[in-house]
Amino acid sequence: MASDIPTLAINDLTVAYREKPVLWDIDLEVMPGALMGIIGPNGAGKSTLIKAILGLVKPASGEVRIFGKPYREQRQLVGYVPQRSSVDWDFPTSALDVVMMGMYGKLGWVRRPGKAERERALECLDQVGMTAFAERQISQLSGGQQQRVFLARALAQDAQLYLMDEPFVGVDATTEQAILGLLRRLQGQGKTVLVVHHDLETVSSAFDQVAILNVQLIASGTTAETLTPENLRKAYGARMLTRLELPTG
Amino acid sequence: MELGQLLHQMVFDYTLRTIMLGCGLLGLANGALGALALLRRQSLIGDSLSHAALPGVCVAFLLAGESKDPLVLLIGAGASAWLGSLLASAITQNTRIKDDAAQGIILATFFGTGYVLLSLIQGRAGAGQAGLDKFLFGSAASLIERDVQTIAALSALALGLMVLFYKEFKLLTFDPEFLASMGFPRRRLDALLTTLIVIVVVVGLQIVGVILMVAMLIAPAAAARQWTNRLGAMIGISMAIGAFSGVAGALASALEANTPTGPAVVIALTLAMLLSFIFGAERGLLWTWIRSRRSRRRALAQGADRAFAAGD
Repeated sequence: MASDIPTLAINDLTVAYREKPVLWDIDLEVMPGALMGIIGPNGAGKSTLIKAILGLVKPASGEVRIFGKPYREQRQLVGYVPQRSSVDWDFPTSALDVVMMGMYGKLGWVRRPGKAERERALECLDQVGMTAFAERQISQLSGGQQQRVFLARALAQDAQLYLMDEPFVGVDATTEQAILGLLRRLQGQGKTVLVVHHDLETVSSAFDQVAILNVQLIASGTTAETLTPENLRKAYGARMLTRLELPTG
Repeated sequence: MELGQLLHQMVFDYTLRTIMLGCGLLGLANGALGALALLRRQSLIGDSLSHAALPGVCVAFLLAGESKDPLVLLIGAGASAWLGSLLASAITQNTRIKDDAAQGIILATFFGTGYVLLSLIQGRAGAGQAGLDKFLFGSAASLIERDVQTIAALSALALGLMVLFYKEFKLLTFDPEFLASMGFPRRRLDALLTTLIVIVVVVGLQIVGVILMVAMLIAPAAAARQWTNRLGAMIGISMAIGAFSGVAGALASALEANTPTGPAVVIALTLAMLLSFIFGAERGLLWTWIRSRRSRRRALAQGADRAFAAGD
């Protein structure tokens, strides 16, 4: 793939629920190998942005292109980590089984995962340090372990672009380190990663690039240039900002 | 009746064998689809679907010239149940009424209308023998071979499609957005699964009846969940419990005249659930209690060790 084609190109994207705009006229380009955090206050439309990229919510206008083509032609190139709280972890299944779900798209209709898929799923679990828990019922995992299972499932999708929705929420320190390491490894392999993030204090250490969102795209670019008090004030409001005590730089 | 005599009849009595077969198949299909309905938190849908089917049975009977052909009645029942489920989701989407209330409204409205139609049909001169009242509480004993054939064919169809799309239905139940992100048509799969649930519910109406049909769908799955943490195993156990209860209900109904099958099935299911809730290997109360006792004792022992080590 020629490196001058952006992994992700969003043009004039507007999404509305009923009458209310959730995303307004978003333009964003993400180049291959980028590791980008998406930040913004609650209700800024961060999750909606990811869902719009994945075609899960229908935009009122605008378009999304993955390597120059619409998403429905490029599904196999995109991996997705939904919010952990979006599923019922009491579902009767094992960690390994959840990871294998990441391969359903490539398997296509009706075909069941077999031995090759099983082995690939074990490799993915290994990459997030969860091999020992492969056969564990998912409700018996800690929050951080469940998050790592979701990451392994996305790895099983074997994608070029990964979209992750709040992977750091409610996880332990071990998992946080595991996720940070994984993000760097993916970047090292030339993959592009977009992460919805809520913790402003860790943005600059975790991501090279950042997009600041509050219904509209406030700013985007390298973390050093974009994560300025002024941009954050635009997104979060002045009152909020004084409490945050931003890392300068 | 003596046990030996009963066994002899089960094997050699053609009518009884046919009825048991029909009820067993029905139990298998309901057990399998009930597991998915339960995990999708759609237990209530089984109840509203079966109640919503009643007016369809009556209308089909009248439109088809007082036909008792099982397929005609089932098509009427299925159409009516589907309409009910569509209306329920239309209510949820267009008003501020929540899903459970919408289901309740549909259930009551359709069942009330159906009951009025049923009374009218039953009360008409010459139509007293319509036998539609068996749709209320079910009557396995009144099944004829054609009924059983229809039940068997439709149960097998529903089961077959569920096995075919097992992978897709599993992910639809666990994480529908992830399924959609990979390009599977979520809405169409959703509609297919609902249709399969409509089929097995509607097929069971003449055996178990409108009022208790939800038990046949949901109870085997709820019992099976106590024994395992794997979906495949849960479905298998659920099917076994469903088949056992179906056969037990058929026997009770066939051997003791005037026993309605629905209540007999529910008694068998209650037994299965009771045993599962107490003895279920994964979540049964007994094992949970023993496990928690064991870990408490271990914690106490460790605490004592620490106290001993620290205590000088």
